[in-house]
Amino acid sequence: MASVDALSIAILFGALLALAGILSSLVALRFGAPLLLIFLLLGLLAGESGFGGIKFDDVGSLYVVGSIALALILFDGGLRTKLNTFRSVLKPAAALATFGVLLTAVFTAPAVMLLFGFHWMEALLVGALLASTDAAAVFFLIHARGLRLRPRVGATLEVESGINDPFAILLTLILVEFLVKGDQTWQHVVLTFVQEVGIGAIVGAAGGWAIVLVLNRLSLPQGLHAPFVTMGALVIFGIAAVMHASGFLAVYLAGLIVGNRPTRAHNTVVVFLDAITWLAQIAMFTLLGLLAWPSRLPATILASLVVAAVLMVIARPAAVFLSLLPFRYPNREKVFVSWVGLRGAVSVFLASIPLLVGMPNAPIYFDIAFVVVVTSLLIQGWTIAPFARRLGLTLPPLNRLPRRIELDLPGQLGQELVGYAVGANSPYLRRRLIPSWAKPTLLVRNEQVLPASESDDVQVGDYVYLLAPPEKAEALDRFFINMPAPSKPDAGALGDFFVSGEVSLGLIAETYGLQIAAGDAGMTVAEDFAAHLMRPAKQGDLLPLGSIALIAHTVVEGKVTNVGLRLADSDTEKPHSRIERVKNWMKNL
Amino acid sequence: MSLTDLITPTAVVPALKVASKKQAIQELAAEAAKLTGYSEQTIAEILLQREKLGSTGVGNGIAIPHGKLPKLGKIFGMFARLEKPIDFEALDGQPVDLIFLLLAPETAGADHLKALARIARLLRDPDVAQKLRESQNADALYAVLAVPSASAA
Repeated sequence: MASVDALSIAILFGALLALAGILSSLVALRFGAPLLLIFLLLGLLAGESGFGGIKFDDVGSLYVVGSIALALILFDGGLRTKLNTFRSVLKPAAALATFGVLLTAVFTAPAVMLLFGFHWMEALLVGALLASTDAAAVFFLIHARGLRLRPRVGATLEVESGINDPFAILLTLILVEFLVKGDQTWQHVVLTFVQEVGIGAIVGAAGGWAIVLVLNRLSLPQGLHAPFVTMGALVIFGIAAVMHASGFLAVYLAGLIVGNRPTRAHNTVVVFLDAITWLAQIAMFTLLGLLAWPSRLPATILASLVVAAVLMVIARPAAVFLSLLPFRYPNREKVFVSWVGLRGAVSVFLASIPLLVGMPNAPIYFDIAFVVVVTSLLIQGWTIAPFARRLGLTLPPLNRLPRRIELDLPGQLGQELVGYAVGANSPYLRRRLIPSWAKPTLLVRNEQVLPASESDDVQVGDYVYLLAPPEKAEALDRFFINMPAPSKPDAGALGDFFVSGEVSLGLIAETYGLQIAAGDAGMTVAEDFAAHLMRPAKQGDLLPLGSIALIAHTVVEGKVTNVGLRLADSDTEKPHSRIERVKNWMKNL
Repeated sequence: MSLTDLITPTAVVPALKVASKKQAIQELAAEAAKLTGYSEQTIAEILLQREKLGSTGVGNGIAIPHGKLPKLGKIFGMFARLEKPIDFEALDGQPVDLIFLLLAPETAGADHLKALARIARLLRDPDVAQKLRESQNADALYAVLAVPSASAA
């Protein structure tokens, strides 16, 4: 029975570890530390050099867990990416995901070569391990931290990290093959690439459609929709991988399709995958921590830190600037995209490939990757939010957004129930304003459910449930935002003052004493809108400028000809007390 | 929301007689020059410079010309009602008869923006605008600007 006991103990410890990971998320959210780093530290602490003393050196398990976790994270990422976003930044993101990855590897390699005395091919391999921007880290940053980036910057990073893993993996595999088997022909390299990307894309697209089809045609028992989708994603990953195609690209595309088609149980699926992704992150990073050999690190840590510095300060920025050369991105956006080149699990995961294959220097690659990832998460992960603010790339936070409850209505896909608590200051309560496509259906008051006919006398504290198309549910938020009434009348929403679209940002900044980036001064208002919206502008589009906001007022053929200036937020807002200011400052960290 | 901190009772002109936007700005600058001690020419130039970016006619017959005057001591506001509405090149094309002028020191920064927003938002209220148009004299006008909230809320 001793062996059963050992297994029970393993289960107990594994579960305790995961539980500790979940609870540590509180610590991270409280202090704003990069959450993934906390999981990693937890693994380190539990590992053989830490207090836990758990011996774990099974690279095979890490590879399996890492693959599954990454596949699910990428699927979830695709699921949350809107197709419009994807299309609008596909070109620059693809440039970053291919040339960007290659250039990053090439620019990092010389440092590795010099510091570790590797053959240039080996150095390039290490560069390739480190070249991909981590989807898990970036998705986490964009979705969970509530950092609202300017649309184009956020979208570019999101899509780049979603599609660059296949390329980094491919580069790694090719280099490993070169190093292990010797020379390969160029035809072979090109063929491998086509196979990885081409077949991966086909499998992903077909799989995505298949999931949508099955989900909508077959009546699965209520609870099984989400597990079906999750397993479907893993099957897609498996099929692609077996066919020597990029499983990661496949699941990302499949997620994109599933997330952008009307499906049954969409909300359940999103919630379920959210939970699964959290677990995947915890499992993967804790395992990485367990596997690392901190006691071995001192030998190479200095050199690895230099590699990290070269990567962050030289290689990635150079690669980003060169890859984005054909696209019109302002410099500060390029700087930001460079800095958000977070390294993450993918790098360590890729570093386990040489270990699996048994290359002689593989442990050193692994250690370099480990140190670089930790450094990147620590330095870049921690500074991203203030950095984005400093560069003026964030939008005002929507912390007043109401909590939206969405309920599927089985039997059809066109409508769902959307519920909100009615706040004292919501536009809905004040003016009963609601779009024509939304139909108030139920009212919950004092734990009693009332039909919509009662909703004429809706009161503060009621819950209102409306019938609305799922894709428009988000648009209802602003009718339930609980914020002080704007000074009437509504026309004011378009600005306090107006200037022509031909005026330069520099002139506006000078007139109103605004701090703007030097590079922006020469840009006209119309150009600013064109550069930041990935679509023709329309009335009401809003762009921050220093401390004020520009609101498109008159738009002719997608070009902003006149713009409203919103000089200050609602005047009813009290000045911040010192304590509030300190709190905000802490939050910003 | 009161504007008492931006404007004094002496800075209210109940019936300004002008025929054009340019003349209005010139007259207002002259009036403001008397009250602040700065040169009429400097003030007019600063106001006209802002008008070049786009008219400060914000609609509904209201204009709020403004600008920064480097060595000004504190934010200075002045209100004028025109005897006859004039064309101010406003976005909505309506002739203007209510003008609030605001000058801010270079250092005012955020206060400048907040003051402008407050004025714009107050005058946008149709009740306030109507009261300003109906008021008999300078004192009544100042009263509307000073304690508008009771009626506007």
